Amino acid sequence: MSAAPAAGAALTTKATTTDKSAESTKDAKPAAALEEDDEFEDFPVENWTQEEAEVPGDNTHLWEESWDDDDTNEDFSAQLKEELKKVEAGKKR
Amino acid sequence: MDVVFQDFRQAYEEGNGYDLSMSLSPIAPDSQPDRLVNFYRSTNFAHVQRDFKYRILHDATSPFKLPADEGNGWVEVYHTYWKAVGEIVNAEAADGNASYVKVYEAWKEMTNVLIRGYTNCNFEAWTVPCLYVAGKYLRVFAIKADEGASSANGASSAKNFQDDDFNPEAEKNEKLEDAARVLNKVFQTCLSDRAPLEESRKWGIYNIINLLFKTYFRLNSISLSKNILNAIQAYRGDMPSLDAFPKAHRVTFKYYVGVIKFLEESYEEAEKHLTEAWLLCHKDSIKNKELILTYLIPCHLLTTHTLPSLALLKPYPRLQKLFLPLSRCIKKGDLSGFDAALVAGEDEFTNRRIYLTLERGRDIALRNLLRKVFIAGGFEEAKDANTALVRRTRIPISEFAAAISLGSHEVMDTDEVECLIANMIYKNLMKGYIARERAIIVLSKGGAFPGTGV
Repeated sequence: MSAAPAAGAALTTKATTTDKSAESTKDAKPAAALEEDDEFEDFPVENWTQEEAEVPGDNTHLWEESWDDDDTNEDFSAQLKEELKKVEAGKKR
Repeated sequence: MDVVFQDFRQAYEEGNGYDLSMSLSPIAPDSQPDRLVNFYRSTNFAHVQRDFKYRILHDATSPFKLPADEGNGWVEVYHTYWKAVGEIVNAEAADGNASYVKVYEAWKEMTNVLIRGYTNCNFEAWTVPCLYVAGKYLRVFAIKADEGASSANGASSAKNFQDDDFNPEAEKNEKLEDAARVLNKVFQTCLSDRAPLEESRKWGIYNIINLLFKTYFRLNSISLSKNILNAIQAYRGDMPSLDAFPKAHRVTFKYYVGVIKFLEESYEEAEKHLTEAWLLCHKDSIKNKELILTYLIPCHLLTTHTLPSLALLKPYPRLQKLFLPLSRCIKKGDLSGFDAALVAGEDEFTNRRIYLTLERGRDIALRNLLRKVFIAGGFEEAKDANTALVRRTRIPISEFAAAISLGSHEVMDTDEVECLIANMIYKNLMKGYIARERAIIVLSKGGAFPGTGV
């Protein structure tokens, strides 16, 4: 009986290490690793309050417009003129 | 075995389903690393039935009494649990080379006995977390068993090569497919309960559905998820509303429904479900939030043409890598950069099944490029100082063509440019018409690029 706990502990540690090695071999195969990655994890708890679902200050500026008016248009106009000239020149040739 | 039945009795007296389910866990808790081994060694095949019957039904030292049918049902459950634990202990002792097929079969037997407990032995609804534990590990063991089988097949494939019937694909997920059938039975057991809602197994339904979704996704049989959605739709009048369920069940369910809608290209619906999942998700579950965003970001791109901000992506380096290059190119109207980013991320995008959706973001990049031409065109000369400035709305096609060749590094025929622009107009990303004979585009004075402020 006295040997049992020690043996048991060895077994469970073995079990966890084999688990880990199994995971790392999975990582070696990209397809399998991605499947694993895609899986939604179990939450450690069943339920939580709404406060626990909110990161403070997280709700501002999460999404932004897809265009950018900041990179000044001067630059672009110049480039565009340049390109137009090139195209025109190409046509005349 | 005493510890297990102490836990059983205490959980039963308190009516605590989660504690009860933990007494059927196939993993020893950290505080009792020897729990499974000791439980297995505490009895043997000859005596297990009698021993457990005594502990559950006839322990005179306890005032705790169970009705005979219910008690006998639990005796059977723990009997099969004991057998499964035996297989687990053996498999763990085999040091990584163990086959989990036997573990899977034993765990499946326990799950089936548990299901019968609900249908034949009057197991009460508060005990449904036992079904969660059974279902969760049924999946885990099935996956492990299949992994073992496929590596064993790999070793012997040369031998089987000449056998025409040998089909590695069909065998690859044999146990997991079997597990899906058992989980479906669990699902039916919860769904068909006619007891009043307060004591109904229906409270277990979303947890089990989530297990089924995970299984179907892994099996690449996502269409089967539709059957589940149809089934709960049919029962919706007799079901507690989703809001009444624990958030863990709701978030997972919303995530999977969102992804299902996403794959059906119902992006607006997908966005709705994924946004709900996003707002409810526990703030520390970074991995899950990352998964939600993986699909929510492409949804936003298509539905509202918005992009994730740096602040949003900050905690997720993987998502930054995935989406930032594309986002930058979309903003700048950089078509060739967009194409290059799409190619660079192709494998990852394809694996996540978001490639086709992101590809449609090219329209937004093009819209932004054409919009820049419009803005660079400046304003009409004011007739007098009092009238408001009006943007130039008649723009030569050649200007758009030049911009496109700037953006894509290739020269296009006027025909092709007209075709692209016609497409933009058709998709309502641009308002106006093409005046071919004059080779200009006449853009709308009131909002040439709807929703973008010009």
